[in-house]
Amino acid sequence: MSYEDYQRWKITPVEGRPTLSVVIPAYNEEMRIIPTIGAIASHVSSLGMPWELIVSDDGSKDRTVQIVEELGFANLRVLRAQRNEGKGSAVRRGMLAARGEIVLFDDADNSTPIEEISKLLEKIREGYDIAIGSRAARGAEEANKSLVRRAMSNGLRWVVANIFSAGARDTQCGFKMFTHEAAQRLFRAQTISGFSFDLEILYLANKFGYRIAEVPIAWVDAPGSKLDPAKEAQRFLRDLVKIKLNDLKGVYANA
Amino acid sequence: MQINLQQLETMPGTEQAVAVVGLAGRFDAHEVPHVRQALTQAADRTEGRVVVDLGGVNFIDSSGLACLVQGMKYCRERGADQILCNLQQPVRIIFELTRLDRAFKIAGCVEEATTTLAARNSQN
Repeated sequence: MSYEDYQRWKITPVEGRPTLSVVIPAYNEEMRIIPTIGAIASHVSSLGMPWELIVSDDGSKDRTVQIVEELGFANLRVLRAQRNEGKGSAVRRGMLAARGEIVLFDDADNSTPIEEISKLLEKIREGYDIAIGSRAARGAEEANKSLVRRAMSNGLRWVVANIFSAGARDTQCGFKMFTHEAAQRLFRAQTISGFSFDLEILYLANKFGYRIAEVPIAWVDAPGSKLDPAKEAQRFLRDLVKIKLNDLKGVYANA
Repeated sequence: MQINLQQLETMPGTEQAVAVVGLAGRFDAHEVPHVRQALTQAADRTEGRVVVDLGGVNFIDSSGLACLVQGMKYCRERGADQILCNLQQPVRIIFELTRLDRAFKIAGCVEEATTTLAARNSQN
């Protein structure tokens, strides 16, 4: 890891197409996003590949957009949004704007340490189309997760595993990597803008026959989560039904 | 997160003690109450002469940064200072991006930090 790599990335625009794009969806993240950007920029700059960082705002009402733009990094883009439409909307805009051959989306709270990226990159290099961080796979580590969130996760995982074919045990971890082609096809087909967009993306990935690797990762329940577990569980179940209905109605037929 | 506040060093050229608080792991809001307590105890034992060794910290969030600012103020109110040292690259970059590298005295190692504290002490 070299400080010079970071300094070079900060001031020198990538020539041509980046190998990697990292997308951070952000809504009212003025307190959390700068340390996360610092950690990502430090680590990814040392991987020896041209890369870009995209912060996809979701209509923040605080100074998220201003403080990120003020960084002035050569390879950092901020996608502004007029309205708050949900995490799925912010991720979608970021993924579709990404130019990298490989695209990662990563939460603004650094709940999955960026050092875990190497595990996902390895799977993409092995030929998988999608590599997803998983807190349910054998070998994963979860820290500081509240009992309520743990119960909600386990319940939803049971539903997903037994009723829904998403091709993964942990659909909701905010650390997922795609080839550019898979990202473009899947996020263009996405219809859900809220928290359960991941579920739709994985459902579609499974339906379209993409190869998905579920990779155990370390994960920390970062303080300041904006999730209301009860509300999100209800919305999640509603979205499960919506995805199935979409499929039956042929909404995804032309994707 | 691991917190070690037991180590005491003597400032070069004096008999005065300096507390060295070693931190390791992820420094976020979950850890703030424990670190705040450790920094306060350290400052109370040494009249505010504290070195925080961040060599084992790989990520610090805004609440961790705020905790260190509070620790620095607590020490300065006692006429001394809190010096940070051994910053890993990601943490160093986070300090730069938040411009807190200008607010803190940051040393390369514990020895340099105690020397800096001694120099500050002799000026008072």
